[in-house]
Amino acid sequence: MGTFVELYDGIMELLVVLFSTWALAPWVRGVLGGLVIGAVFGGALVMVYLERKFLGDIQSRIGPNRVGGRFGVLQLIADAIKLFTKEDIIPAKADKWLFIGAPIVALTSGFLMVAVIPFDLLVINGKEYAVAVSRMDISILYLEAVSGLAIFAIFMAGWGSGSKYSLLAGFRNVAKMIGYEVPLGISIISVAVMAHSLDIVEIVQAQSTLWYIIAQPLGFVVFFIALLADVGRIPFDQTEAEEELVAGWATEYSGMRWGLAFFAEYLHAVVGAFIITLIFLGGWNGLPLIGNLNIPGIFWLIAKTIMVIMLFIWVRGALPRYRIDQVIDIGWKVLIPLALLNLLWSTIIGLIWA
Amino acid sequence: MTHEATQITSPPKPSEMLLHLGPQHPLQPGPFLLDLKIEGETIREAELKIGYIHKGMEKVFEDRTYIQILPLTDRICYLASNSNNDVYCRGMEELLGIEPTDRAKYLRVLTNELCRIQSHLLGIGEYTTDVGFLTMFIYMVRERESVVSLLEAITGSRLNHNYARFGGVAQDLPPGYKEMALKSLGKLKELIKSHDDMMSSDSIYLKRTKGVGTLTAKEAGELGVAGPPLRAAGVNYDLRRLEPYLVYDELDFNVITQTDGDVFSRVKVRLLEILESIYIIEQCLDQMPSGPYKQDVTPYITRPEPGEVYSRIEDPRGEMGMYIISDGSDKPYRFRIRGPAFATAQALPPLLIGTYVADVAAIAASMDSCTSEVDR
Repeated sequence: MGTFVELYDGIMELLVVLFSTWALAPWVRGVLGGLVIGAVFGGALVMVYLERKFLGDIQSRIGPNRVGGRFGVLQLIADAIKLFTKEDIIPAKADKWLFIGAPIVALTSGFLMVAVIPFDLLVINGKEYAVAVSRMDISILYLEAVSGLAIFAIFMAGWGSGSKYSLLAGFRNVAKMIGYEVPLGISIISVAVMAHSLDIVEIVQAQSTLWYIIAQPLGFVVFFIALLADVGRIPFDQTEAEEELVAGWATEYSGMRWGLAFFAEYLHAVVGAFIITLIFLGGWNGLPLIGNLNIPGIFWLIAKTIMVIMLFIWVRGALPRYRIDQVIDIGWKVLIPLALLNLLWSTIIGLIWA
Repeated sequence: MTHEATQITSPPKPSEMLLHLGPQHPLQPGPFLLDLKIEGETIREAELKIGYIHKGMEKVFEDRTYIQILPLTDRICYLASNSNNDVYCRGMEELLGIEPTDRAKYLRVLTNELCRIQSHLLGIGEYTTDVGFLTMFIYMVRERESVVSLLEAITGSRLNHNYARFGGVAQDLPPGYKEMALKSLGKLKELIKSHDDMMSSDSIYLKRTKGVGTLTAKEAGELGVAGPPLRAAGVNYDLRRLEPYLVYDELDFNVITQTDGDVFSRVKVRLLEILESIYIIEQCLDQMPSGPYKQDVTPYITRPEPGEVYSRIEDPRGEMGMYIISDGSDKPYRFRIRGPAFATAQALPPLLIGTYVADVAAIAASMDSCTSEVDR
């Protein structure tokens, strides 16, 4: 363990050296960005694999078990090869540029979100360095804004495909998002009010004594439900409800274009899990009362994120799908009032606490 | 809901759109075309077009000998193949003037009830995936495997059983069958109860199904719908009780009814009927007399006296009837099938009007229609 911690510290010191030269060398930031994107890309792949395995367990089946040995670890590679070699079809009725642009926009929005996610905070020589591609003062607001771009992607795909199923899915998505971005935003504001900052790093630091899931459980519930809707997972996957709309907005996509769209969705889910960990589950802080047990913060963060992802998968395995009008009802009539109530609560508590 | 409005009469207004669900769509058990005129997500008009896999079975039957028809009755609907065998054989027995042996009667009831269980399990399974409940689908298919294995042990095949014969059945029970069946069904009973709990306690599931797609008793009667959709509307109509065939008058069972006639009730009826069928099977296994399971002389070349017969049965999906006219030759003069799925299919478009696109999946699957039988 000791050598491991030393190794980690060594790597982090190297990072810090690089960080401190940011202003001088923009290419360092580029390299770091590439690394982080690669890491989150890998994270999304892990999530796809985890989902297939864990969902298989829930549904009493085995899941991937052929490619790459008993646990099917290479299944994703096989799937990727299949997707790359498939014919790329653009339907005759499609609006070509919207159709091509949609997966790119979806993926870009996911990557833009990754940019501000801090993975750890290093204090070296009394100076704080956040392990993030970019540390912004308003990073949480930025996240909320950039995640909204994904809505455009789905609507572009829905309109550009020239298919009625896709169109309905696009409409559904817009209707859903108008209702759910609001409680999502209010929950984020509640957190920011309590932490007195819009910077995710400071929000996490403010949770070193008390996680916000304990300080505002209602906010967590609202945020979790709204996030499920935001990333479009069961019970809120109306935009790709197979039995209703074939594959929803992705109906006309094939080959790697579909692969990108599908992957963007998982990327959003992984980033969503990171956000929920950072703003409600204490981020890289250790467990309350126990502390971080001398384990580097990044491992705490990743462990918690994996737990949240497992929760996503569990919810998917356990619940049926809402109807779209019920989804919108819940958003406007339940989540927004609850989010406002939570804002009031967090303001009061925040005042007392501060 | 009006039953006249089952055809799309006018082209869509600017605010409306025609959505062709099918003939290939993930929601469908087989190819049919459901044209929906929708305004936003609301369905204004609906029209069902069938015939994509029409097999002309009734005409084919008129060109086959009576024995040759028997395995073909399996293919009317593979989930109800045992009932179809049975209803045909009972019709022929009446024409030929023979009676199945006592043991064969019990064996037929036994296989019919197993067939009902597996059909209901797959019906519920398909339905649950249509409301987005994939986990329950896989549970149902898993449970169905054990029942199909029980059927396979008796009949030798998993789907198209071809088990009933004129005046008997094809084979006797294999040795040790009773213990095997009781063990397997006991487990199934527990699992079905737990799945029922899981479904009735899920608030999302209740929201999706309660009060959706209500088919009243009157409308069901007008459309000729029988079986679980009719019993879900509160009508105590079950041929096993009203016109006890085989040995149903010696068996104790309840006719399951619900009151609401909505999607939830239809599925609930099926779930409870599975438990009731298990109870019937347990009685069958207890009471089954020993003795021959078939006639001493199997009538291979059958030339029934000229005449006509209509025999009917409580199929898993409703009332299945076969009308056979014999002119004294070895082939039927006229063969007519009254299928339950055809009635449930034609009840679908009126139920859809005023509901949402998402409800199409729930309602269509809860009717548990079978395209193969509709287009027989």
